Amino acid sequence: MTTLRPFTCDDMYKFNNVNLDPLTETYGLSFYMRYLAHWPEYFQVAESPSGEIMGYIMGKAEGIGENWHGHVTALTVSPDFRRLGLAATLMNFLEDVSEKKRAYFVDLFVRVSNKVAINMYTNLGYIIYRTVLEYYSGDPDEDAYDMRKALSRDVNQKSVIPLTHPVRPEDVD
Amino acid sequence: MTSKVQHVQDNSVAERRLRPIYDWLDIGNNKKALQECEKVLKKTPNLLCAKALKALTLHRMGKEGEALAILEALTADSPTDDATLQAMTLCYRELQQLEKICKLYETAVKLEPANEELYTHLFMSYARVFDFKSQQKTAMTLYKHKPKTPYYCWAVMSIILQATRGEGKNDAKKRSLLLSLAERMMEKLIVDGKLDAEQEVQLYVMVLELQGKFEEVLVILDGPLGTKLACSNQPHNKLKYLVPLKCWDDVNLLCKGILIESVDRWDIWKEYINSVFALMEAKPYESNNHDNGASDNDLETVDDTPEKCHEFICRIVENGADNGFLLRGPYLARFELCSRLVKCNVDSSDVLGETIELFIEYFRKFGHKPCCVSDLRHYLDLLDCEKKAELSARLIKDVGISSTSVPQSEQQMQRHLCALQLSRLCGAHRNLTSDHLKALVTAFSLHYEHGYQTYGTNLLSTDLGPSDPYALLAAHVLYDLSQSEKKSEPIVAALVLLENMLKNSPSNFHAKLLCVRLYHTVGGCLGAQNMYSSLDTKHLQLDSLGFIHCARLATTGLYSLCSNLFDVTLKFFSSNYKDSSDHITFSYKYGSFIKLDEFMDFRERLNNSMHYTTVAIDRIVLSLVECTTLDTLYNIDISPKDDKIDWEALRDNHDLSVYISWDPERIKGPPEEYEEIRTFFKQNKIFLKLRTSLLWALSAAVDIVKSSDGVRTKYMDQLATILADWEELSTKNRNHAPLCQHLVTLPLPSRLHVALATPHFDIVGRMLRLLLAVVSEGCSKEDDLVEKIESGVKAMVDMIENRGKNSADLIYRRETMEYVVNAVEVLSVSSLICLLCNDLVKPPSKKGKKKVSEASSWKETVVRLANSFKTHINALNEVLQTWAQFSVSSDLALMLESVNLSNDGHNVCENIVNSYVLAVREIQCVLKNKIKMLSSIQ
Repeated sequence: MTTLRPFTCDDMYKFNNVNLDPLTETYGLSFYMRYLAHWPEYFQVAESPSGEIMGYIMGKAEGIGENWHGHVTALTVSPDFRRLGLAATLMNFLEDVSEKKRAYFVDLFVRVSNKVAINMYTNLGYIIYRTVLEYYSGDPDEDAYDMRKALSRDVNQKSVIPLTHPVRPEDVD
Repeated sequence: MTSKVQHVQDNSVAERRLRPIYDWLDIGNNKKALQECEKVLKKTPNLLCAKALKALTLHRMGKEGEALAILEALTADSPTDDATLQAMTLCYRELQQLEKICKLYETAVKLEPANEELYTHLFMSYARVFDFKSQQKTAMTLYKHKPKTPYYCWAVMSIILQATRGEGKNDAKKRSLLLSLAERMMEKLIVDGKLDAEQEVQLYVMVLELQGKFEEVLVILDGPLGTKLACSNQPHNKLKYLVPLKCWDDVNLLCKGILIESVDRWDIWKEYINSVFALMEAKPYESNNHDNGASDNDLETVDDTPEKCHEFICRIVENGADNGFLLRGPYLARFELCSRLVKCNVDSSDVLGETIELFIEYFRKFGHKPCCVSDLRHYLDLLDCEKKAELSARLIKDVGISSTSVPQSEQQMQRHLCALQLSRLCGAHRNLTSDHLKALVTAFSLHYEHGYQTYGTNLLSTDLGPSDPYALLAAHVLYDLSQSEKKSEPIVAALVLLENMLKNSPSNFHAKLLCVRLYHTVGGCLGAQNMYSSLDTKHLQLDSLGFIHCARLATTGLYSLCSNLFDVTLKFFSSNYKDSSDHITFSYKYGSFIKLDEFMDFRERLNNSMHYTTVAIDRIVLSLVECTTLDTLYNIDISPKDDKIDWEALRDNHDLSVYISWDPERIKGPPEEYEEIRTFFKQNKIFLKLRTSLLWALSAAVDIVKSSDGVRTKYMDQLATILADWEELSTKNRNHAPLCQHLVTLPLPSRLHVALATPHFDIVGRMLRLLLAVVSEGCSKEDDLVEKIESGVKAMVDMIENRGKNSADLIYRRETMEYVVNAVEVLSVSSLICLLCNDLVKPPSKKGKKKVSEASSWKETVVRLANSFKTHINALNEVLQTWAQFSVSSDLALMLESVNLSNDGHNVCENIVNSYVLAVREIQCVLKNKIKMLSSIQ
């Protein structure tokens, strides 16, 4: 049970219940602000009936030619509101917007260790397009999967033919 | 010579030379950057950009004066090349001199009136200082040069802002004139066939919306322009306009259409039910239509009675029944319907049956989801006290776990937890005996342990343990116990319990937040510090969560911790305030006009944060406490936020809701809306005003001492006025009741109360009066004043000594520490004033001798006071020495035993005891330095 609405600056004052979870990063203000200024339609929040923030998604559209695509920058759901299909709702929204923008596909990065997330994205129709080596810095660095789902404009599903070789982060455009 | 080719070559050579400077600046190596600047300037002394970069580098090295001098010289050169202007812009931005950027580009466009880029920068420079009129003019000039639609829209947006935030803000006539101008400008764009991008249509909609022209907006949404709103034109957007137009039929049908497709849209459910009642009001209830013939096609019929509404809900429930998995939307819609009926004084049972059964049914369907509690919380007030008690009992029974059994599955455990949380919300834990509360704690902690062993051992470190909520409940009940018994042992027991739980479930932030609160309650700030740092709070959380730790640190005497967190916090606020104008320029750049208003509000919200102001003041007070020489004092900037505190606009940005709670008070709404929190905010504001008075007064005193005879009287008058205001403020604010502590999820009492009980004004204020007397060389000996100061200081130290002897309870002890910290502030600031007085009575080296006799009598007074302060500081020092030696009482062991918790609270006790030991050590160090400082007065 959800109210889906555009994320506003003030929501940053209320998203602690989501962001204090260790898997959700709290970024510097300008990071959020840049997304709000540039891609406001891609930044949505799911609110509970009692007005709490249950989760949010932030994304963008970028790329030239057949690489024009929607990108999921962050997707997070508060522990109390998991297993309610919320992530799927938010992803659907982002895919919808990307369809309307005539994007060819949607992509996202995920830690190779994050089995739960990978599973969920697979269930939503995403495939592992390629591995990005040492994408996440830390001790040790961790690889990322670049996962993709083709949109209707990519009639021949060209965007989702997996690469056979992993790539370095600097080769990711 | 100066052919174009030559110029281009120059540019690329210059660029190559400058590159290393940028690189050094980027990685923050200012020293290298400066060296590189000098090198380039040696070769090309007139390369303006190199000078600009040198200014930037110097500023970043803290050499503000030199940077400004270079910038001023550069401005006189009227640069027009992008690189130089950009570097200067950056530097002025960091210096917070945004107006200078406007001037810079104003000159540049005069020299190159056809340069589109320069005009764009000029526009943005006005946008940064919110000069909407100049923005508008610049955008139009730009549009005339380059007729691009975005520039035109910038002009329109600038007009809108004049209407909403500029001169139209308080002038309805101006506002409507400006808005209709904006509307006409947009219409012209449509006529010219130039309105194309989504953002531009949004702008047009915004203009209409601001004028309340909702019908016109609806026409656009349905028309050809609506198709351009690809991403934002969803069916439910129309509701925003249909509702204020009271087109309830349309609202009703639109909502039904959406709900059939997506049954879980809560905003739509609310609008739908709202429309049913609006329709009902228009057509009185008695015609309760009994025919239900149109059931096949009822998406085209309006639901205007509760019966029809209920039928629609039921239909959706039935549709969902074959979907396999349950969605909560329609079930919760029943509660909304019920609550609306109750509000209209209609008996809801005719339509929905017994209200309590709705709860039971919902619980049976969704009790295994943690969100069940927050779903129902808001509706619990549909039940009276008796019904709540009944619900509470029935839910527990429904789960089927008695005092002697444990959950047989993880799902049953979650249902048990939900039932327990709901029953606490229903008041089931209120008015219980101590024994009963202890029994609850025992039961919960056993359930926790069982749940952990059975379902919680194979989790990732990032997972929250499924049985963690039992431990949280137990901690809450322990806090209840501490309140009813007025003892602190149960709080320590709660900390033991939570610390143990966190060993199993190291990511549970609910437990950490609770620990921070509980540690601060008993003065165990080192424990609070550990918990706080493991929460990894940063960026905006420094504001929204600042209240949990940072705001309390200032009362603990742990000066080194304070200093760190204060600095991090202040850096966050000041750097974000600087950046915030960038976001506004981004909005123009990307055409996200819909976000501009929000960005501006947010910027103000951040800058007017109460927490920001508190920390800014605390930071200065801390510097004063640590200050030991006059030179250092002269270098402290004693005016918080450059004296630009807008008291009326101050706001509390704290996220109090972050604390999970099942106290019955939570049914009414989030704690931010509680009356007592509003009072608490007012108290904090008075506290800040008192504290600023002290700073202003001291600042004026410093000005007096530093000034020469000519301007001295001005500062003396200033000080006299501040003192009078301060005295009034402290006398008229005597009676404030501290925030009630019965809810663990609310903050600790305001710092106002202890501050008022400390003779801040009586001592510091009088010291400053004495300084005024010294400086005006008043003949009247101020013996009376001196005696009052001396007795005041003695009384203050005596009070602390008595408090130290009085009680060993930790909550009382924590408050005593707050008194100590306040006393140290009073003593520190007074000692500094002593030093200032001493400076005044030093016989002026070359001036006439006639003043010497008066000066020497004042000198005696100052020496007498200094000695007296030394005596009392020594006394306080000794009091602290004995007071710091204590151990957490053996009652704790008994307490732990009585609730069957294992007796391994050593860690918690150590945290608490060490906090006091460390704080006393830091305080004694401060006191020792003060004695040394006072010893220089002889």
